[in-house]
Amino acid sequence: MTKRVGISAGTALACFLTLTAVGRADTISYADAVTTLAKECGSDIKKFCNGQNLGNGRIQACLEKNASKVSPSCTSTLGSVMTSIAQRQEAQASVFKVCQHDISQYCNSVKGDGNILSCLVETKRVDNRECNQAITDAGWR
Amino acid sequence: MIVQALRISMALGLLLAPCVVSAQQLDNSQIMSTLGQVKSAAPAVDVALLVEEANANVGKGVAALPNWGKLSELSQLIVEIDFENNSTAIEPKSYRTVGLIADALHHPDLFRYKFLIVGHSSATGTAKHNLELSQKRADAINEALSTTFAVSPDRLFSVGAGEEWPIDPGHPESADNRRVQLINLGLLK
Repeated sequence: MTKRVGISAGTALACFLTLTAVGRADTISYADAVTTLAKECGSDIKKFCNGQNLGNGRIQACLEKNASKVSPSCTSTLGSVMTSIAQRQEAQASVFKVCQHDISQYCNSVKGDGNILSCLVETKRVDNRECNQAITDAGWR
Repeated sequence: MIVQALRISMALGLLLAPCVVSAQQLDNSQIMSTLGQVKSAAPAVDVALLVEEANANVGKGVAALPNWGKLSELSQLIVEIDFENNSTAIEPKSYRTVGLIADALHHPDLFRYKFLIVGHSSATGTAKHNLELSQKRADAINEALSTTFAVSPDRLFSVGAGEEWPIDPGHPESADNRRVQLINLGLLK
């Protein structure tokens, strides 16, 4: 029960931050990134990459190989989708490092990554901008 | 007991969900809250034994087999991921569902857990071919999660069930039987 409340509070905060973060390119979820890929490149994938899979960069390699035939909107989308996925991965890998100081200060006795994150999100005193931004970029609000 | 009953009815709700809810409507918090519940007494599952049992019982069903039977006791959800016909290539329209799973598995609440991807087919075609294809399709989802979305490969397992465990046993050829189960296998040791 407590957890569910925590999650919805987190979601509300994320919405608030998304609405107020002006002038900064936020990272997007993996789901949103590949939804864009499917929307802009779906027909090219079906046409030129039949039987090939999303894993191991095969779709990306196929679309790049067929760049002369692939639609321009797909080509430009492909680059930005791959960049968003990489940014999200980087952000997720960095949170516990960037927030190390706040973790030791406010969440020292908390065990488990999920609980430490909840502690950081719920602790109003975490005013470290970098740490807050890292959590937002990781998509963990 | 109450907790258990709640969990069972929730599992049933999720089993029915794919019939009425399209995969596009699946959201991250739904995946998180379902997969995050782990019973302390959850049985340990050996994936190699699942493969062995399925291969030794082609055409006879897997639900009642000793190792497959354990899966029903674990936290899980069912998603729809579409593939090209007779191929292991995930349809672009299903990329989002794979991305949603990646978002959930990358959340700290689920960091500690390992997951099993189970591929199911309908009964169109031979049972042996369906078993092989569903194994390869489950492997393709595993590969996409562990490479494109960088989920640590030691957290991911995949197995095919072929047509051996229909969700709609009265209509084994129904498309509803084609589905993917995502099961929390418990703590990563």
